[in-house]
Amino acid sequence: MLRLSWSTFRERWQLFIGAIVTVCLGVALVQSSLLILVTAATSGLVEAIALLAITLGVSTFLAVFIVSSTFAFTVAQRRRDLALLRLVGAGRGQVRRLLLSEALLLGVLGTASGVPLGLVAMDVQTSLLTSLGFVPPDFAARWRDWILGVSAGVGVGVALAGVLAASRRAGRVRPLDALRDTGEGARVMTGARWFFGLLFLAGTVALVTVSAFVGPEGAIPLTINAALTASVALSALSPLVVPLVGRLLGLLLRGSTLGTLAQANLRDGVRRSASTAAPLLVLVALLVGQTGVLASIDRASVHEQRRDLAGDLVVTSTGPGAAGLESVPGVAVAAERLRVPMTVTTRTVDDGEVETETEDFDAAVVDPAAYAQTYRRAPEAGSLADLRGDTVAVGSGRYPLGAELEAGIGGRTVTLRVAAVLPQTMGGGEEILLPPGLVPDPVASAATAETIVRVEPGADTSDVAEAIGARGLGEVSTLDEWITASASRQQDTSSGIMTVVLGLSGLYALIAVVNAVVIAAAERRREFAVARVSGLSRGQVVRMALVESWAVTAVGLLLGGVAAAGTLAGIAGATARISGVATVVVPWELLGLTVAGALLVVGGTNVWTTLAATRSRPVALVGAGE
Amino acid sequence: MTAPAATRWQQTAGRTPAAVELRGVSRHYGGKHAQVRALDDVSVAFAQGSWTAVMGPSGSGKSTLLHCAAGLERVSAGQVLLGEHDLTAADDAELTALRRSEIGFVFQSFNLIASLTAEQNVTLPLKLAGQRVSAKAVRQVLASVGLDERRRHRPRELSGGQQQRVAIARAMVTRPRVLFADEPTGALDSTSARQVLRLLREMVDGVGQTIVMVTHDPAAAASADSVMFLSDGRIVDHARAPSAAEVAERLARLEG
Ligand SMILES: Nc1ncnc2c1ncn2[C@@H]1O[C@H](COP(=O)(O)OP(=O)(O)OP(=O)(O)O)[C@@H](O)[C@H]1O
Ligand SMILES: [Mg+2]
Repeated sequence: MLRLSWSTFRERWQLFIGAIVTVCLGVALVQSSLLILVTAATSGLVEAIALLAITLGVSTFLAVFIVSSTFAFTVAQRRRDLALLRLVGAGRGQVRRLLLSEALLLGVLGTASGVPLGLVAMDVQTSLLTSLGFVPPDFAARWRDWILGVSAGVGVGVALAGVLAASRRAGRVRPLDALRDTGEGARVMTGARWFFGLLFLAGTVALVTVSAFVGPEGAIPLTINAALTASVALSALSPLVVPLVGRLLGLLLRGSTLGTLAQANLRDGVRRSASTAAPLLVLVALLVGQTGVLASIDRASVHEQRRDLAGDLVVTSTGPGAAGLESVPGVAVAAERLRVPMTVTTRTVDDGEVETETEDFDAAVVDPAAYAQTYRRAPEAGSLADLRGDTVAVGSGRYPLGAELEAGIGGRTVTLRVAAVLPQTMGGGEEILLPPGLVPDPVASAATAETIVRVEPGADTSDVAEAIGARGLGEVSTLDEWITASASRQQDTSSGIMTVVLGLSGLYALIAVVNAVVIAAAERRREFAVARVSGLSRGQVVRMALVESWAVTAVGLLLGGVAAAGTLAGIAGATARISGVATVVVPWELLGLTVAGALLVVGGTNVWTTLAATRSRPVALVGAGE
Repeated sequence: MTAPAATRWQQTAGRTPAAVELRGVSRHYGGKHAQVRALDDVSVAFAQGSWTAVMGPSGSGKSTLLHCAAGLERVSAGQVLLGEHDLTAADDAELTALRRSEIGFVFQSFNLIASLTAEQNVTLPLKLAGQRVSAKAVRQVLASVGLDERRRHRPRELSGGQQQRVAIARAMVTRPRVLFADEPTGALDSTSARQVLRLLREMVDGVGQTIVMVTHDPAAAASADSVMFLSDGRIVDHARAPSAAEVAERLARLEG
């Protein structure tokens, strides 16, 4: 039987190479993300772990999604050949075994090439991480032997899983379908598609709803998950949309023969169109959705800071300087935040063993009274008035009021009681507030101080700023400038996160898009030949296929856009709840680029494959009765 | 006039044991509103060792008849018997087993697997059936269709007539009880068509092969032992060993 696969391979190499490529890249991506995560976790890079875990999650999802949909697609594309096998006596089991052993072989080949490629991917990812500052420059992910098992499991397991359902369907193909030249024979909207489509749709709705009720740290992974489930749901249901887009296309190109033909082809090739649109859908959902989510959070935190901070100027200096500022004429309040690093060690007893975990914080030493005068929101619990002596105020959701924390400040260990819990914010808020007196002097005088200054009523802000500058008390900016500057730093971090999470994964999805276009065209040589003997020129065939592929691109973009919109709806809910105003940033520029890029990439690939498929003289193919 | 013609046909065919028999077979397509009766209560028996041509206007149900008789298509009503097997009651596994041993197909579009050589195409049914393939036997079958020389060629390197002969060799390699052919000469020029018809005749005369063949070509029909005519899904006429001119004349009457 595998001899048959081998000769099929020579005939339809695009399908098999396409399948191997998806496995290879998927394995490489998952392996590299996992090795980096494990290395980061064992070397205690707690900060980076969440980001790396998200990266691993997205890579794994994409690998499973793309490999299984590509494998199912290649099986669907061979429907006629498989029907022919059935006609000459192949049983259902034989067809299934053939497909499964092929999947096994392709999975093994993909894994074998994916493992070394994974090492390259690991270098690329590591240098991304170090250059963006998420891990220290000397970070080096380590190879682990067990990863081979994981990679093989991902490559072979996912390939087999992808073919499992498709092969069962292929086994049921009717021998008579071998006699039908075109058309898909089978119903595209299978029960399984309805089931998984609706199930994942419900899951998406649940995730979007929940993401409105968690803090910004929780909202990011939740909306990513929502984008992923929405992608699964919408690509399962996409066969419902393809004919609609086809009809729209027919309306747009009314009267043109090519338009009519393209519309008919869309109607006839629903399965093919849906499979081509799938990777594009995920790419758009993740890229546009997540960029929008991060930008929305950033904007909401800017809104929030503008609303909550009461001040006119911000002075940045080294070491405590509030006293000096207060003596400047026109200054009403100078609320200093002295930034010092601090650790909190927690001990949990697990099975009789004590496990300690140390978390790093960026604490701010404040004068509670002055702080309260420049920050408009009251604590969620406790009172800032109690912030004195061995106490601490913590950000929302970290530690309960009254908890005793083992804190490390400037090399000393002290036990601090939580005196207040700060209100929940979109990200601009403080992690930890300390009262004065806990930080040793040498540490304090080396720390950076940001002091929010309120000028007296009637005093001119710029005069006060000039006076502060003249006395050399630090760098002065207006509060608004300061908020904008910190927002743009935050945006850099956000785009860094996007690059790490979606850089290689996005590339993978893009390659999968190209791959799907190539696989789709591989089966159409005969169809194109028939079109040409019916009087279409080669150029017309190419244009017809191009129009059609753009319609498919539109389906992918549209559904990806819907999925992205779903995730943005989640973040709108979260920002509304936390900051009081629903804030949604639609990344129009990126959206425009994505649309243009997708049309270009899909269109370009399509023209290339159609030209290749129409290279031979049409009679040769039509006459062959293949 | 249709009913007596059908009855008469059944009687004449019923003298020798039937290889395939259709009893009151109907096949409908489509939903409630636009129903097509592709076959309408057809009863016919194809005698063992006979070569029957099926003719009729386009859309009269010829292919449907063939597909139903071969167990490729479910019937809406009636029964199809292949020797002792009831095809209408068989499940997929039984039908698969029958396709391996009892039924052979040849179609207008040759339906060879493009990636396999002529020889591999021919041996495929045996391999699928898990039988040992003797190279000698395969070469013999290929030689019998005159293609021993081209056995390593792939379909696209063969002419239409040659491809059809490969398809016949593939159908015959399992020594089926019945060979079903749907317009086997439909895509061929007259020389290749004659060659194929001669091949079929040799099989009928030589090993007593039963053949049911749909055709549009009166000359092809005239090579068969008898011809039956379909119209609107019913058997309306038949002729025993007619000349091509006679066939053409009856067909013209049906179509006119
Ligand atoms: N799968 C199908 N679905 C719906 N209608 C069908 C289907 N197959 C055949 N028909 C209809 O059944 C009727 C008989 O078709 P069939 O293919 O048997 O005709 P035929 O005699 O073989 O014609 P031709 O000589 O043109 O091949 C036709 O009206 C056809 O439209
Ligand atoms: Mg027909």
